[in-house]
Amino acid sequence: MPIHQINGCIGCKTCISTCPTDVIQFDEKRKKAVIAYPEDCQICHLCRLYCPVNAITITPEKSIPVMVSWR
Amino acid sequence: MSSDTDISRRQFMGATAAVVGAAAFASLAFGAEPVTNRPKINAKDFTQDVQETDVLVIGGGMAALFAAVKAHDAGAKVTMVSKGRLGSSGLTPFAKGIFSYDKSNASMSIDDFVAKVSESAIGTNNPVFTRQLAEHSYDRVQELKSWGFFDSALYANSFLRPIEARDIPLIERVMITHLLKEKGRVVGASGFSLDENKIIHFSAKTVVLCTGSGGFKPSGFPVCDLTHDGSIMAYDIGARVTGKEWNDGHPASAENSGSSYDNWHGQIEEKPMTTEVRINHHLGVDLNYKAYMQGGPVAMGPPRPGGKSDNESTQLSGGPYVPAAFRETGGPPPPRPQQEQGLFSLFRQNKHDGPPGMGGESVGGSSAGMAIHKSEGLVPVDDTGLSTVPGLYAAGDALGSYMSGGIYTQIGSSLAGSAVQGAVAGEAAALASADVTRIPVAEAKLNQIREEILAPLKREKGYSPAWVTQVLQAVMIPNFVLYIKFVLYIKKERMMNGALAYVEELKEHHVPMLLAEDRHQLRLAHETRNMIVTAEMKLKASLMRKESRCSHYRLDYPDTDTENWQAWINIYKDDDGNMQLEKQAFGNWPVSI
Repeated sequence: MPIHQINGCIGCKTCISTCPTDVIQFDEKRKKAVIAYPEDCQICHLCRLYCPVNAITITPEKSIPVMVSWR
Repeated sequence: MSSDTDISRRQFMGATAAVVGAAAFASLAFGAEPVTNRPKINAKDFTQDVQETDVLVIGGGMAALFAAVKAHDAGAKVTMVSKGRLGSSGLTPFAKGIFSYDKSNASMSIDDFVAKVSESAIGTNNPVFTRQLAEHSYDRVQELKSWGFFDSALYANSFLRPIEARDIPLIERVMITHLLKEKGRVVGASGFSLDENKIIHFSAKTVVLCTGSGGFKPSGFPVCDLTHDGSIMAYDIGARVTGKEWNDGHPASAENSGSSYDNWHGQIEEKPMTTEVRINHHLGVDLNYKAYMQGGPVAMGPPRPGGKSDNESTQLSGGPYVPAAFRETGGPPPPRPQQEQGLFSLFRQNKHDGPPGMGGESVGGSSAGMAIHKSEGLVPVDDTGLSTVPGLYAAGDALGSYMSGGIYTQIGSSLAGSAVQGAVAGEAAALASADVTRIPVAEAKLNQIREEILAPLKREKGYSPAWVTQVLQAVMIPNFVLYIKFVLYIKKERMMNGALAYVEELKEHHVPMLLAEDRHQLRLAHETRNMIVTAEMKLKASLMRKESRCSHYRLDYPDTDTENWQAWINIYKDDDGNMQLEKQAFGNWPVSI
């Protein structure tokens, strides 16, 4: 997984606007941010760095095969 | 282009070209059946409204910040609209070095700076914009300092400060898909919200595109939200674009190659710093050449003591040309000073292996689909970034200013150039708007654009944008297509023609059948179309330029051709909707069109 989990979310929505690739959505029922499109995560960590309560965990692996050259 | 040529390309697909993509992603066969769309939202629920402004600034990075501030300060009513958050989208959040040319304390004169950049760029730079960078960078850096830019690794707060102080309306998370044109000039733009079922049309007197450049959503470089949206929507209304044959050659680390954060060695968490004059000839494409000729592993940057063995020090004959003054001699690299100032001091810190992609074993393609900063984008007709469409300006990576040319020449110039060009374009757009009478857009046209925006939601059968993007990546990212390692890096006519057959098929057949089941996929659908048109441009420009120079390297034309190619390539859509390419001589700028 790239963006791995959101634990302790206070529902401020900062991560949602901060994510350049629109990976995170807001769950209106639970009033919490949820990882909606992990396959589009570019693993840049901006959401984690902007989160005011350090709720976001990110791992370095992509959730879909990585397309690179020669390896 | 004749239909005969098209047919011959199609025939290619069954033979040579099939290896381009299919070998990489065997599961991504072209013959996939369309899938049924199951939309979670109803296109009929989208509201639609029109907002008026004098100057519309599209984008949320460094160029957009200064465009909005300077347009406001020049007396115009300004609105900002951005696909992402101000200061947290595009490449701006990851740029940590900003060039500041301090005239009172510079190591070389501006004339010498411009001449040295032109020498490294082998004439591909536009000296008017190179000079503009040096002349204005210091003042922009001082303004950034006053807003607190250098006090935090995260830019959102310092960017918001001058915008809030001026009460400039800021609309975030709206993807602009169309520019509006009436009576020969740009009159606004249209797009949709990522957060609610809403279409917004902007009526404007002038527009400044600060939409950055883009890539093919590659792995390991934080450029996945940039898909050349600005260039393509401008191309669609008749603007000329340029620079599509140049290539950014950033590699990624072989380990966790999909992680932008890890590839950048923690640089994302560093506060920004200024850089001083330090002119280079940074290729990146040379690494691709090595990997193509010898296979992996390869590494970029100076060899590390006790590190993995690599072929970095192996000297290959041939390969991309480097001007003599910028060649690194054999043997170990010169020791770096113990106390280096500015950005370079970052790379001396613990856990820092150097700039993105450097240090350790590398793989290619991390920035695939992106050219050299400031080389690809709208063709300017003057030094304010005015495009060939009246009323439409561009700045930063959305402008093909050739500030550095087809090669990276000055560390930190990308961010500084965006600030400088944004300020110049914003002020010019504001002054021009004062003389313009607002031209309204007919309701029928707005309704037609609404239909085009929402079409992927309404289709019952078609193809998911994620799958079409993966096919595009499989065709374009291998180093032997554009680069040695990508279609776009190490270029051969045969491979590029093969790739072009795929890309034309995607454009003609798959783009009209892109599906979306929600707003996120609607965004992906429009982004996918923009990437595919860009891929066509990159292949056609790379095929046309039958020489090698700077970051454009042709295995079949390895030499620089100073007789025929002292020229840029401009691309435009003709009256029949066909893509046309034309040469523009280096010395013939601006050209009246």
